[in-house]
Amino acid sequence: MIRYIARRLAQAAVIVAIVATITFALIHIAPGDPFSAVLDNPNVSETVRQTLRAQYGLDRPIPEQFVRYVGALAHGELGWSFSHDRPVLEVLGSALPNTLLLMVVALVGGFALGIFVALVQVARRGSIADRILGGITLLFFSMPDFWLAILALLALTYWLPIFPVGGAVDPVMHEYMSLGGRLLDRLKHLALPALTLTLLASATVARYQRAALLDVLPADYIRTARLKGLTERQILRRHALRNALLPIITLLGLSFPALLTGAFFIERIFAWPGMGYAVVNAISTRDYPLVVGGSDTSTFLGGIAGDRMERGSNMVTTVPAPS
Amino acid sequence: MAAMRYSRLLCAAALIGCTGAESRGGNTGGTLAMSTGGDPDVLVPSLLQTTTAAQVVDLVYDRLADIGDSLNVVGDHGFTPRLADRWTWAKDSLSIAFHLNPNAKWHDGQPVRSNDVRFTIASTKDSTLGSPSASVITSIDSVSTPDSATAVYWFHARSPQQFYDAVYQLPIMPEHVWKGIAPAGWRGSEAAKHPIGSGQYRFVRWIPRAAVELTADTANYRGTPKLSRVIWSIAPDFNSALTRFLTGETDLFPQLRPENLREVAKHPELKTQSYRGLAYVFAQFNLRNPADHDRPHPIFGNRELRRALTMATDRAALVRSVFDTLALPALGPTLRVYNTTDPNLQQIPFDLPRARAILDSLGWRVTTSDSMRTRNGRPLRFTMSVPNTSQVRVQLAVLLQEQFRRAGVKMDVEQLDFPVLAEKDRKRTFDATIGQWNTQPSPGAVLGSWGLAGSRAASGNNFGTYENPVFDANVDSALASFDLAARKRYFTTAYQTIIQDAPAIWIAEPRQIVGYHSRLQLGTLRPDAWWIHIPDWSIPRDKRIARDSVPAAPAPAGSTGQKAP
Repeated sequence: MIRYIARRLAQAAVIVAIVATITFALIHIAPGDPFSAVLDNPNVSETVRQTLRAQYGLDRPIPEQFVRYVGALAHGELGWSFSHDRPVLEVLGSALPNTLLLMVVALVGGFALGIFVALVQVARRGSIADRILGGITLLFFSMPDFWLAILALLALTYWLPIFPVGGAVDPVMHEYMSLGGRLLDRLKHLALPALTLTLLASATVARYQRAALLDVLPADYIRTARLKGLTERQILRRHALRNALLPIITLLGLSFPALLTGAFFIERIFAWPGMGYAVVNAISTRDYPLVVGGSDTSTFLGGIAGDRMERGSNMVTTVPAPS
Repeated sequence: MAAMRYSRLLCAAALIGCTGAESRGGNTGGTLAMSTGGDPDVLVPSLLQTTTAAQVVDLVYDRLADIGDSLNVVGDHGFTPRLADRWTWAKDSLSIAFHLNPNAKWHDGQPVRSNDVRFTIASTKDSTLGSPSASVITSIDSVSTPDSATAVYWFHARSPQQFYDAVYQLPIMPEHVWKGIAPAGWRGSEAAKHPIGSGQYRFVRWIPRAAVELTADTANYRGTPKLSRVIWSIAPDFNSALTRFLTGETDLFPQLRPENLREVAKHPELKTQSYRGLAYVFAQFNLRNPADHDRPHPIFGNRELRRALTMATDRAALVRSVFDTLALPALGPTLRVYNTTDPNLQQIPFDLPRARAILDSLGWRVTTSDSMRTRNGRPLRFTMSVPNTSQVRVQLAVLLQEQFRRAGVKMDVEQLDFPVLAEKDRKRTFDATIGQWNTQPSPGAVLGSWGLAGSRAASGNNFGTYENPVFDANVDSALASFDLAARKRYFTTAYQTIIQDAPAIWIAEPRQIVGYHSRLQLGTLRPDAWWIHIPDWSIPRDKRIARDSVPAAPAPAGSTGQKAP
């Protein structure tokens, strides 16, 4: 096991090194100035810009910057964020828990809801309910995430003010709430972004899961189960679902890294202070260290998590089908 | 930690009915929650660049004197005491002695001393700091401190704006907090994230991408501000920030757009107030060839052609379409709020037939089937670059495109990320761009953005490389003049020169709109800093809600000062 973990970590390190190199090159090649914000002020001179560039080491040749970056990375340092004026590790460290929380809730909710919808659809395959649910899942599957987020924001915070507009907590009152109040406040703020991501994820899962279930239904062991007199519900839950879960577990593994930075629009619209917002915003401000550091982190975490889930799914395949 | 627990106990008490600040009497108390679009960049007066940072810093720190609502920049007329309770001019006007208010204290309890004033100016001038403010205090030679309560500013030369330069550009910073930190490390220092000032509000916390909170300094030498807390609620998405305001999560949203007014009007509890800002919008031509800066631009190098394009532009219609009634057509590279600006500056009129005739006379004739002009086989076509983050500038570009089309000019609109556009500006590799300058109470910044020096410096701010010595000479003369009439005359000549040279189409002078909850009692919104009077804003007791019950956080031990009489 230790050898396996060591091998996987080594592989992850190689992938991170490759991603870091490519990201570093791309973001430095991209046109733009990290200190462009100062250009709106006619009093800011070029000397000031040059001083800023020197302070952040941007006056050095790009190969030298890269060597310095790799050296720092080898020591576990991801550099200094220009836009946040703090270590990249600190910026990502404060954003990661928020993203993980949102991601776990959305993944659990999305997969549970998606599997449930697929089961209902397959149990009533060909019926009007199947077609309506299929239509709904197709709608959410095709819907751009930012559009659904804006719609949810308008519908559930403005037209029907049930949830707070955004943020991870109420910035005005959270500090002054009791422990229970704070927990409730956190949950209320989590609800809307999590609901949006859940709906989006569940649509994908439902469509995959329905197809996978339909694939296994003609199998011999399902026919055997029917001959044994099991109800359709028992067959679906005990026999069909277990075998049809494998592609969904793979999908889960793929969703994890994608959601780490892929929920940018959701995070931005709901002002959720997570990784996606931090890293993508860093691209637009040309915050080179944060872009590269964020990519490295999501590659590492996503790769490890995805790998663990894939391994989990492989282990499932070795378990004999229930008799 | 103990202070935090104490504060929470106080709050708990406050939330069940005992309203801390109110119980001490007076009309103080209440929380102002504002929607804002982004974090402050850095909370150091000499380094900040963003508006949010300026808002926080202006409430946490104090200047020696306040410019006042008249925004006069000549002499000291209209300036009111702040950290300095009085000042004395030297007979030759080469120095001004500021006498510090003996009651002024930093929020950590230390008294404000003249050393702090000297340190502020010296550190800002230190080239290793890279302060954007350094270029605006070049008239100051040094600061001496004959005693702990007197700071003497020494100037290189007598000038009309020397007092303004001395007091407006920089709030005073505490030497004891910053002197141990190398200037290059200021931005990333803890001191930059937990500022200690002497203003009427003390810093409480900054949670990146969430909120910044200030609390009233109840022991401040200028008295306790009326509102107990000021909170910036950060929402990067415009719609989210707006929705927070519309739903009552925040009390104030200072970035309302004209198209939001109808929605705001549906809420009887919300109000709006517009004010004149210090910004103007323009479409700038690059007068140099983007591929070879030693040669003139093949289209915009010609003054008559630029004038023709200006004539082809119906600026009034542009402004009406994009800003409705919330902007006026710009007069030039200036603002109506300046007392040196003549509101009757002669403009190049909108005259489409005349514009067509000029283009014809220059050899640009309609020859193609799509009614576009060409000369020697070259189409009259160029690209207008705009930042994709500015809806206003994109709209203006699209409308300009249509107006130019009527004159037979083909304009492509190029929407760019702001950093990319900024790089094109700096390297001067653009054809034309729609820009906006956010200026200061002094009209002098016009030299950096339209003068010779800004053009000839490797990457100066005169991106279009407009050069006319007559313009520079008149601005120089105006800035050197103590007489308002003469100053206005020189500026008028300078503006008239640049308007007729048409290095840009002067589009709009927008008004800014602040949306606020009717329970807030606002004061004057000053053009350079609408937030500057927040300490005087209030919320009547009968209109307070739950969040208003949180009292001001107690001051740290030892920081209690005396109130001003």
